Amino acid sequence: MNPTLFTWMIALPLGVSPLVYLAGRLGSHKMELTNIRSWLVRGLALLTLSATWLLFILSWDKFIGSNENLQFNLESIWLRADGVSFLLAAMVLGLGTFVVLFSGPYIAGEVGEEKYYAMLLAIVGIMIGLGCARDLFNLWMWFEAMAVSSYLLVAFYREHPASLEAGMKYLVQSATGSVLVLLGIALVLGNTGTLDMDKIRLAISAASSTPLGLVLAGALFVIGFGVKVAFVPLHTWLPDAHSQAPSGISAMLSGVVIEAGLVAMLRALSTLGGFSVSWGMLLLAFGALNMFYGNLMALRQTQIKRMLAYSSLSHIGYILIGLGIALVNGSPAGAQGAAFHLFNHTIMKGLAFLAVGALMFALLDQNGIHRPLEVNDLSGAARKYPLAALALSIALLALGGLPPLAGFMSKWQIFVAGFQGSNPWLMGLVIFAALNSVLSLAYYAPVVNMLYRRNVGAVVEGGASIPLTMNIPLVILALAVVVIGLLPSLMSWLTEPAAQAFLVMFGK
Amino acid sequence: MTLNPLNIILFGVVLLLAVGFYGLLITRNLIKIVLVLQILVKAVVLALVLAGKASGNLGLGQSIAATVIVADTIVAVVALALAVQVRRRAGTLDIARISTLQG
Repeated sequence: MNPTLFTWMIALPLGVSPLVYLAGRLGSHKMELTNIRSWLVRGLALLTLSATWLLFILSWDKFIGSNENLQFNLESIWLRADGVSFLLAAMVLGLGTFVVLFSGPYIAGEVGEEKYYAMLLAIVGIMIGLGCARDLFNLWMWFEAMAVSSYLLVAFYREHPASLEAGMKYLVQSATGSVLVLLGIALVLGNTGTLDMDKIRLAISAASSTPLGLVLAGALFVIGFGVKVAFVPLHTWLPDAHSQAPSGISAMLSGVVIEAGLVAMLRALSTLGGFSVSWGMLLLAFGALNMFYGNLMALRQTQIKRMLAYSSLSHIGYILIGLGIALVNGSPAGAQGAAFHLFNHTIMKGLAFLAVGALMFALLDQNGIHRPLEVNDLSGAARKYPLAALALSIALLALGGLPPLAGFMSKWQIFVAGFQGSNPWLMGLVIFAALNSVLSLAYYAPVVNMLYRRNVGAVVEGGASIPLTMNIPLVILALAVVVIGLLPSLMSWLTEPAAQAFLVMFGK
Repeated sequence: MTLNPLNIILFGVVLLLAVGFYGLLITRNLIKIVLVLQILVKAVVLALVLAGKASGNLGLGQSIAATVIVADTIVAVVALALAVQVRRRAGTLDIARISTLQG
């Protein structure tokens, strides 16, 4: 079988994306065609993602069978698929498929429906590509392409000033971040004369001391990519963008886009090697800050999507702590925990946003109200929407780290890794993280309580029903959260190669 | 620091970056913010060519610079399109007056 098969995982969604747009524009703008066009667009998007899944399975088979990274080159452009690429691809494809399924009734009839699916397919292809970049500039191109498609998706409701404002904030901050990344790339190019990650590693390990320019480049990478990953002082776009985007897109942004930014940052930082312990310390510091600040801000939110957005900040914190522990201790356990939490965060936060989206659709959108969903609106929702309420509760309790669910398992793995090195600072940090996890229940639990109240609120009373295609993704994701929580070793086929690839990247 | 051409270009990069970041801090108009972002990107384009020249790999630096110009034009187009929509819906381009999302 052809070893470059994995590139089709990138090319297929990207190539079909304009076709989806064209399919949505077919024929005249008569009303009777609208439904047919809508089904055509959704069907094409789902078919493409299914085909991409098939390609994923075939290339994964090849990857595990040959036990080495898959490579592809076109002239001097190289793509390489390693464990981290496959982890990211699985997350993006998984959530992407559910979001396309979910968005059917949610987006149906909105202006620009065809653009929504076209951009969604494009962003899936782009993020798989981002995981496979082997060249710093190539990495930046994927990163920028991902950013541009996500600006458009955040500002999807262009009649609403609030979502335009969120899109604009996101764009300006993200564009400034990518300028800083490019400046870092220029510094690397000036100091080493190459942008190929492997050659940069060789050039740096051959030199006796690290030039100041490369340290500066590392700092620029941390700040530049940090805007996208929402490191705490650079996070201000995140709650706006995540709460104003359509719910499916909130799930994508929170579940995979910030994680893809993190992968890009780690790839860029790892090439600068040499002082990976210092990068580890930096990740730990940002991790602690993100966790604490995210939790404190989430506590005071009354809008549920904004609360979930702040909780993303704290979950990025746990992932950073796992990665930092791996770098400081040099053990794969922390990295595996982080990779596992990365995956779990995708399904848990994806589920939470989709469940909130389903409730928002039934309670507000169907009644022609366009405003954010408040926690108080959900009073007694479990009586009328048992499935969506159960799914949301499972997602929230898993995010809070309650024992039999997925979120607990990955957090536990990170905490155990922190205690392995018997470094008192790391142990202190792990205890701080565990306390934070308890603190986070203080804002997850009231929502669950609100859902299962006896008296049904006025908003729930007047709500419409939730369509079946919206419930299917909720059921599958909720089952995944529970099953992975009970049998965490189910996911080690994916997380072990990712953790190994991560440590290889940093030369451990 | 002697006055060789590379140092002059480096001075240009730093100057453009300074103007860009200062502009980002003080600008209140959306269109002007897009312009300021363009200034920042132009500084980076210059820096990339300079880095290519300094490391003896001018071709690579130049090709990257050209690609950045293309990629950044797309960002500018999206930004301006959003600005047009903001002007239509909110009636103003002043970011202090359209800002409603906080906390």
